[in-house]
Amino acid sequence: MSAEQFGDMRTEYSKALVAVGEENPNVVVLGADTTDSLKTANFGKKFPERFFNVGIAEANLVSVAAGLAYSGKTAFASTYAIFLPGRCVDQIRNAIAYPSPGDKKGLNVKLVVSHGGLSVGADGGSHQQVEDIAIMRAIPNMRVLVPSDSTTVSKLTWIISQQYGPFYMRMARSKTPIVHNESQEFQIGKGIVLQDGSDCTVAACGITVKIALDAADLLKQEGISCRVIDCFSVKPIDKELLEKAARETGSIVTCEEHNVMGGFGSSVAEVVSESYPVPIRRIGVQDKFGESARDNEIPQLFEKHGITSINIANSVKEVRGKKP
Amino acid sequence: MGLNYYQIKRKVLKARKLVIQGTSTAGSGHPGGSFSMAEILGCLFYKHLRYDPKNPSWEDRDKLILSKGHASPGLFSNMATAGYFDPDDVLTLRKFGSKLQGHPDLKCPGVEFCGGSLGIGLSYSIGNALAARIDGKDQRIYTIVGDGESDEGQVWEAAMTAAKYKIDNMTVFLDRNFIQQDSYTEKIMPLDEELLGNDLSEMWKDASRWKTGDKWRSFGWNVIEIDGHRVEQISDAIRRANQTKGLPSIIIARTIKGKGVEHMEDNPQWHGKAPKPEMVPIIEDELESQFMIAPSIIAGDMSNLDKEVKRCADGRADYIHLDVMDGQFVPNKTFDHTKIKELRPLTLIPFDTHLMINDPVKHVRDYIDAGSDIITVHAEVCDESSFGEISDMLHSNQVGIGLAINPDTELPEWCYKFVESLDQIIIMSVIPGKSGQKFIESTHEKTKRIAKDLREHKFEGYIEADGGVNLENIGACFEDGARAFVGGSAIIGQNDVRMIIKEFRNQVLESRRKLLIKKAHELGGTELVNSWIDLHVVGEKKDKLVQIAKEFGFQ
Repeated sequence: MSAEQFGDMRTEYSKALVAVGEENPNVVVLGADTTDSLKTANFGKKFPERFFNVGIAEANLVSVAAGLAYSGKTAFASTYAIFLPGRCVDQIRNAIAYPSPGDKKGLNVKLVVSHGGLSVGADGGSHQQVEDIAIMRAIPNMRVLVPSDSTTVSKLTWIISQQYGPFYMRMARSKTPIVHNESQEFQIGKGIVLQDGSDCTVAACGITVKIALDAADLLKQEGISCRVIDCFSVKPIDKELLEKAARETGSIVTCEEHNVMGGFGSSVAEVVSESYPVPIRRIGVQDKFGESARDNEIPQLFEKHGITSINIANSVKEVRGKKP
Repeated sequence: MGLNYYQIKRKVLKARKLVIQGTSTAGSGHPGGSFSMAEILGCLFYKHLRYDPKNPSWEDRDKLILSKGHASPGLFSNMATAGYFDPDDVLTLRKFGSKLQGHPDLKCPGVEFCGGSLGIGLSYSIGNALAARIDGKDQRIYTIVGDGESDEGQVWEAAMTAAKYKIDNMTVFLDRNFIQQDSYTEKIMPLDEELLGNDLSEMWKDASRWKTGDKWRSFGWNVIEIDGHRVEQISDAIRRANQTKGLPSIIIARTIKGKGVEHMEDNPQWHGKAPKPEMVPIIEDELESQFMIAPSIIAGDMSNLDKEVKRCADGRADYIHLDVMDGQFVPNKTFDHTKIKELRPLTLIPFDTHLMINDPVKHVRDYIDAGSDIITVHAEVCDESSFGEISDMLHSNQVGIGLAINPDTELPEWCYKFVESLDQIIIMSVIPGKSGQKFIESTHEKTKRIAKDLREHKFEGYIEADGGVNLENIGACFEDGARAFVGGSAIIGQNDVRMIIKEFRNQVLESRRKLLIKKAHELGGTELVNSWIDLHVVGEKKDKLVQIAKEFGFQ
């Protein structure tokens, strides 16, 4: 993409929700005093009888959503990442993921959060959820999506409204660069190869996909051909695509704005080490907490945690050297 | 399905026995909290809840959500009793591969909520209630929350949410049994007031200390406070809650943890412990020996029966015995259905109408309409055909069915055709007609004989001793097999009805303890007698049992 374009994930989520709600009268939306921020209030304006703001009571939010879902509704519950997996893992596990009516797995609740990861910025380390991917992917029946841009958010909102079962979708707070064309197709459990390459693979999720693409550009100037994969579907993860990447490119670097422990990088390492072991390097938060950074300082915050295109590029060079 | 008072009680008994069998076989589980809510579940499953056990996912069913999920043995046992699955399945409780998990689980068709992690169920119920509202369904959500569970902050998040959304298609019960896992609730996290000392009865007795209702009222709820073991109060509370529009309703049911088994009652140890298998037959006998005290108001001031009914209610009678005499079947005349209709609004306590009249089949309708909970007619003035008619009429009106015999009458042959559906058999121990007569001693032998005979014919109702029952002979009447006791002048003739009813109860309890000690001895000698006695750690029960064992020479 030439001139960089930005999109707002929450705006696209909101628009998609209203459209989904128009098509499917079974869709209900719940919020917890962040409905202006998440822009889910727009759904409420359009469908007041299907919109519930339960106040600053996230455990209640999750469990009311579970009850609606048990009675046949498709429930979207949204607030900030730090207040859902970060606060309500019990309710998410026991009220949504565990209860399995008949042959179904879990209840039909979609937990869609914004403010995932370090890019929350100014609110500080207390609000920068860097553990949610690890928490959510450890829960059976839960699927975990980390969209890379606002286009993905819109498409995934439609997809999860149509697929039965619990989903966790993690959006970023700030406006994010657009990496996908409108025509891009998405499928749960399938990664997207954004750029082909043969020397190494960079697999990323969320807003770090753009950083990965930048790294690939840098490496190209040095004659290194990098394959870049958007793994927006962290669970289920695209085992086939990753195994192929391991076999064909011989090394993998992962990237995420999340703790490297238990997060996206871990899940790639799990898959690859079992199917086609190759050297792996995980870029991400190195088991630390974040801190405040205003919007224009977020690159500095990322740099402090090593989440930069330069660091990815260096890591690629390093893992390539370790190939057997 | 709408069963009568007695039928509900029998189902509750069956379910309690299954709880004991299930937890004992599993070797773990929560009998205490299953028993505190036993009557609540009984009223729901057999009167108010709309469901189809053969089609558990019937779209328009009501939903029962057991938020205090650890009491799952109580839920499963009632589901078995209600026909969702074979009662023998309860023996798979907590076992590998069973649909009956340690906590309620959707794995078992008919269970509506995966409970266990406390504090979630009320929010979940609100979700279900909102869905029913969106869909315009006439569907009710019933939820049972524990008092220990109310420590969870989420309960109060949900309390606010239900008020905000005016959730009136949901009826919540608080099973207020005053005990949580570690100890008494009022020691761990008081809902009313901190309990100093160890006497829980202090909290029970003193209504001025109850503040839980105020908490819910201040959250914007309609609060109904009841004795959660009284079927008539529970049923009435459900009706009132279900009629309340525009705000959510909670029924605060004061209950006794472990209710029905003396050593479990009010004993925190039985929150989450299963009875040992060797104790099961003794516990079953104890459960089978539930009893009721029914004052007969004609022994009081006939010119002011209103007052007598109120005295019975204040005295916590189990039901009120109403002797209707027509001056023909018996020489005396008392009152008729018009009087009963007048008395009915004074109390919820069941009316045990004893018709000592000729041609009862002609009059039964009036006594149903007057608000009787059970109607007993005399065998001397019925035959198979007229009793059949009476029985059908009572059955279809959810009124209990009783048959009475005079001292010189035996059970007629035709009555065995009805015996399985009879709720009560009155064996008169005085010649009916007036109060104040002396108990006819030969009734003891007669009752024993009839009780044995009825057991063989699968009679599941109560044998009621009526006439001359007093503190001296009530224990013997219990030993004979009577489980309901009409007290005339011995109760109503006394100043303090509450005190005398309590003494009546204590006498029966004493007899019951003897019965159980004998049973223990029969099953396991002195060793089992001692283990049985050692279970009774709360209050003075243990001393009394030791005394009995010594009297019998078992110690």
